[in-house]
Amino acid sequence: MTGGIPKTIADLPTSKARYIGERVPRVEDQMLVSGRAEFIDNATLPGMLHGAILRSPFAHARIVRIDTSRARALPGVFAVVTGEDARATTAPLGTIPDGWGVHCLAVDKARFVGEPVAAVAATSRALAEDALEQIDVEYEPLPAVVDAFEALKPGAPLLLEEKGSNVVLHKQFRWGDVDAAFRDADRVVREKLRWNRLGANPMETFGVIAQWDPSEATLTCRGSYQTQGYMALGISAVLQIPAHKVRVISHPHGGSFGGKGGMRGTCIAAMLSRQADGRPVKWIEDRMEYLVGGAGQAWDRHYEAALALRSDGRFTGLHVTLLDDLGGTPEGAGAISAAKPLASFTGCYTIPVAAYDLTLVLTNKLPTGPYRGMGPPPHNWVLEHLVDTAARELGIDPGEIRRRNFIAKDRFPYEIATGNEYDSGDYEAALDRVLEMSDYRRLREEQAQARAEGRLVGIGLVSTIEPGVFDWNAYAIVGVPMTGVPEGATVSIDLFGKIVVKVGFSLEGQGQYTVAAQLLADYFGVELGDVRVVAQDSLSAPPHFGPGGSRLGVALTGAVLGAAERVKAKLVRAAAHLLQADPGVVVLRDGRLEVPGVPGAEMTVAQVAAVMLTRSDLLPPDLEPSPEATCVWTAPGRTPADADGRAKSYLTAANACHIVRVEIDAETGQVTIDGYWIADDCGVRLNPANVEGMIQGGVAQGVGAALLEEYVYDADGQPLTSTFADYLLPTISDVPIPETAAIVTPSPFTPLGAKGVGEGAMHTTPAAVLCAINDALAPLGVQATETPASPHRLWKLLESARSHAKSNR
Amino acid sequence: MTSPFSDEKPSSAARRIRMTVNGVAVEAVAEPRTTLVDFLRGDLGLGGTHVGCEHGVCGACTILLEGRTVRACLMLAVQADGARLTTIEGLGRDGVLHPIQQAFVDEHGLQCGFCTPGFLLSVHELLEQNPDPSDEEIRDFLGGHLCRCTGYKTILRSVRLAARRLRETKAAVAAHAEASS
Amino acid sequence: MKPPPFAYAAPRSVADATALLRASDGDAKLLAGGQSLLPLLAMRLARPSLLVDLGRIADLDYVREDDGMIAIGAMTTKTAVERSALIRTRQPLLHDATRLIGHPQIRNRGTVGGSMAQADPAAEYPAVAVALGATLRLAGERGERSVDAAAFFPSPFTTALEPSEILTEIRVPMRAAGSGWSVLEIARRHGDFALAGAVVMLGIESGRIASARIVLFGVAPVPVRVSAGEAALLGESPGRPAFEHAAACARDAVSEPLSDPHASAAYRCHLAGVLVGRGLAEAAARAEGSS
Repeated sequence: MTGGIPKTIADLPTSKARYIGERVPRVEDQMLVSGRAEFIDNATLPGMLHGAILRSPFAHARIVRIDTSRARALPGVFAVVTGEDARATTAPLGTIPDGWGVHCLAVDKARFVGEPVAAVAATSRALAEDALEQIDVEYEPLPAVVDAFEALKPGAPLLLEEKGSNVVLHKQFRWGDVDAAFRDADRVVREKLRWNRLGANPMETFGVIAQWDPSEATLTCRGSYQTQGYMALGISAVLQIPAHKVRVISHPHGGSFGGKGGMRGTCIAAMLSRQADGRPVKWIEDRMEYLVGGAGQAWDRHYEAALALRSDGRFTGLHVTLLDDLGGTPEGAGAISAAKPLASFTGCYTIPVAAYDLTLVLTNKLPTGPYRGMGPPPHNWVLEHLVDTAARELGIDPGEIRRRNFIAKDRFPYEIATGNEYDSGDYEAALDRVLEMSDYRRLREEQAQARAEGRLVGIGLVSTIEPGVFDWNAYAIVGVPMTGVPEGATVSIDLFGKIVVKVGFSLEGQGQYTVAAQLLADYFGVELGDVRVVAQDSLSAPPHFGPGGSRLGVALTGAVLGAAERVKAKLVRAAAHLLQADPGVVVLRDGRLEVPGVPGAEMTVAQVAAVMLTRSDLLPPDLEPSPEATCVWTAPGRTPADADGRAKSYLTAANACHIVRVEIDAETGQVTIDGYWIADDCGVRLNPANVEGMIQGGVAQGVGAALLEEYVYDADGQPLTSTFADYLLPTISDVPIPETAAIVTPSPFTPLGAKGVGEGAMHTTPAAVLCAINDALAPLGVQATETPASPHRLWKLLESARSHAKSNR
Repeated sequence: MTSPFSDEKPSSAARRIRMTVNGVAVEAVAEPRTTLVDFLRGDLGLGGTHVGCEHGVCGACTILLEGRTVRACLMLAVQADGARLTTIEGLGRDGVLHPIQQAFVDEHGLQCGFCTPGFLLSVHELLEQNPDPSDEEIRDFLGGHLCRCTGYKTILRSVRLAARRLRETKAAVAAHAEASS
Repeated sequence: MKPPPFAYAAPRSVADATALLRASDGDAKLLAGGQSLLPLLAMRLARPSLLVDLGRIADLDYVREDDGMIAIGAMTTKTAVERSALIRTRQPLLHDATRLIGHPQIRNRGTVGGSMAQADPAAEYPAVAVALGATLRLAGERGERSVDAAAFFPSPFTTALEPSEILTEIRVPMRAAGSGWSVLEIARRHGDFALAGAVVMLGIESGRIASARIVLFGVAPVPVRVSAGEAALLGESPGRPAFEHAAACARDAVSEPLSDPHASAAYRCHLAGVLVGRGLAEAAARAEGSS
């Protein structure tokens, strides 16, 4: 459905757009600043019980025996479930790739610390936690494999014995004659890089209230679901309930960034509710559960990468080898994160051929899941690191070497080696803008001065692509068979002319309800407050996915405008009949249906809608009395992937160029970011304030990735970062406030020309900060090749440089 | 603060406690182990005080106790017996936002809004103490509040805007009082 | 993360509190500001049978001048210390150290006595107490006694308090004229517990170092006094050579350095040296500025 959807803001039926494209305050905020949003832990149902989950203290252990009798005997305890119940009543969890699933409660053995082993429902959470202490589990600890390379070796402990190996997937991709490119290269730069586990950590963890209805054999799950419809399918499969008997209700939630999870928690809560004869069971994941056993760990990666180039600095080939440690099982969609880089594998550059050697392996750690950016952020760091290394070796400025390799603005749409097509862009414009904003020449002069004083000042300059409007076909190489991601909206006008739009997702923070209201207010010529956005559950909403993959802003725009077009068509027919005019001459403009050039031949949208709903006698006989329509949008022109994963997948390619200045304290290894400039091109900005929020939020998470955040496990697989005192999120003192500029290259393929931007600067900031650090370190002959660049790691590098310098003296 | 019901004799039994929350006197029963945040949310139905970590790091559960910010997960309900508390529900009234809340709306100082009530109450204490804080003073005061969405830029702007508006209001009130005296 | 069940009592006097401790089975715990204890309860790492809340005892919250010393009631909050004009003007080291502790929301509840009794190796107050030569007053069934800070912190999270004793007051001397101070720390983020910290005090007379005190925190299980560094400074003229030597002493002063994912033992010792060097320079500048 792309037919009538306006392609630009000027195409909207209004003389002047008052809302769309403007910095409109968000319709969501009144409720949120008042503390009145119904986050899941604020919801209570009659008779509700509270769940708690007992988790494995071992990274790998056989479960010999579980005795729940003492827990069951406690007053106030209404249900206790274990792996045996899961085995008896549920299917293994779905995985990507398929067929590696385990049950939601460990059966026979536990594969990571924090894996659910048993669960209790009681009249209070405290009582449920008391009951957990009364469950006796006899474990037989097994050798654990924690390191990805160790997990590959013959004889390594196996996570799933029946598979005979810990390797979930091993594939080599060659897009073009990569061997020739490297054979013929003037120069090849190589690096081994380590990106350590980190993750989403939204301020609200996952929570659910599950209620089993024994009379109808149906299940209702209220929770902080990022993607309710997708979850409903998974719940249906695991609990073996037909999908139409599972209702998932997404509540407003406190952020997600991909890392909300909830499949195991939902299934466990549902099992408890069923055992408790249908009493609703609330389970709120606490923060320690989130950190050791939730959906908040992603991207545990070992890279080896090489870039082939000519002596003039032109890139001729890219070869990336990735060993991706998925943890205990592939249930968290971590594999998708290894596939998504195909959507922008070669970044902003014309690199004609590329290779990817991909290995996905299991270890005795928490399964990895999605996180903002879904895989490209580490990949971008790898690529940009190689580009900087090449620039340094060839003596070319980092900005200049990028400029020489940029896809020129007149070559779009541009198909990259891995098959995706970039819609539009002007990478030089962004580069030029950020060079000018930062006064780059002066930065370099100041750096030279600082170096002469012995200070470690570095400048990072990177340019990246943010693939936007995700499509399932991007993940074909890890076994995802679909193409297209339907997103629906239903637009209704009431008899007073007020507008309701129904969607299949709840509040998460991106401001999408505001975007929907902006679009409809301008489309039908009403005030922003005349539009109300209503979330519908998984059974009531039109086909939907919800937020994810920098897609919803574009997809929602398509669905809302598509539905508005359909409503308009009905209004036009009704108005034409009422005005005794030909429908072909009636137009919608500024909230009126009118016949241009005929004075008085006009009605307001409210008048026409009211007639449709209250005076069927005045309508044409074949017109449905309903000023309401639904449109389900999916990106046009998507193609199924070929055997090597080539596909037109992500519809848009946003571009950002960042410059960062850092100084490293040579004595302590502490990094200070003391300058930051961004030029960002995400096409037309539907609400510039929302866009800036996405970018700045991405900067913060990127700084976390570059400097602070890391999940650490010891050699036995024990997590050492199980509190917010150990897993370090950036604070207000850690995040720089960049100077920003917008470059606008409209997408030719999307409604109104917007591009996906929700994952934002997470694509760019980690690489920018790390490249700046390595620019600072370059004169010492050492490089930071592991994330995060903590003071401790940098100090060790500085020490090695100092001892090296001494021994060379 | 006086504690009308606190038992000086040891007991793990639930006890009756009394406090003033958002100007309203309340009386309820709490087990000693119930944290203040669970009491506010669960027993008093004040869900705007959010739970982000339950170990005192994230700041989401920040409320005002006798006008001073505290983390409601780091107190037991029984410790607040006899105290005067303000939660987010007490900041604005009847749908009229407090100027600090309004500033956060106007400057897009929130995204998901989960951390926001805690921030707002700390900003309230900050601006009571220091009506014209520098950026460094704002950072120093809000360093114990984690926000995962905004990257803090618009939070800083919101605080500046709120401070300016509150100062302007105060000056206008003072000018009015002077003119009418 | 809900605390296990426990009995609770809120006595109105120190005597009642010690009586409760004495009557308990030994698993009683004192609750002061609760900023360290509450997380331990939520994680069920602390499982007291009885929690004795000191918050209802009226006369433990004060900062006053007493017999030439600054006397601070054990239940005085860090915010009260931070705002005390007496402390800011007469013992600014304590003021500066207080501002490094956590965040305002923590300091509004956390107490001086609570921090001392918690004896966290990474905390500022125990090291400051040792550096200042503070005296801790304890009340127990046998009456009151005083303990020097140097003897109060025998091992991490352990103090010289007997099971039924309560810390009631901390007494610190006032800053001597002509002396300078510094308290510096390195943490991963502003407000976090220190990976390493150094408290330095320097007295300078006639251009020579007349007294020196160096105490490290966050580096070892307990506050560590860098005695060799202090001794080496005496009689020297303040300046880089002397400070570098003292910094080297600080690096070597710790026999059992702490190590965790954020900082290895070697890194912590290195940081201790850096901080001592920087702290001595800052303290010297202040000493010269004040005399």
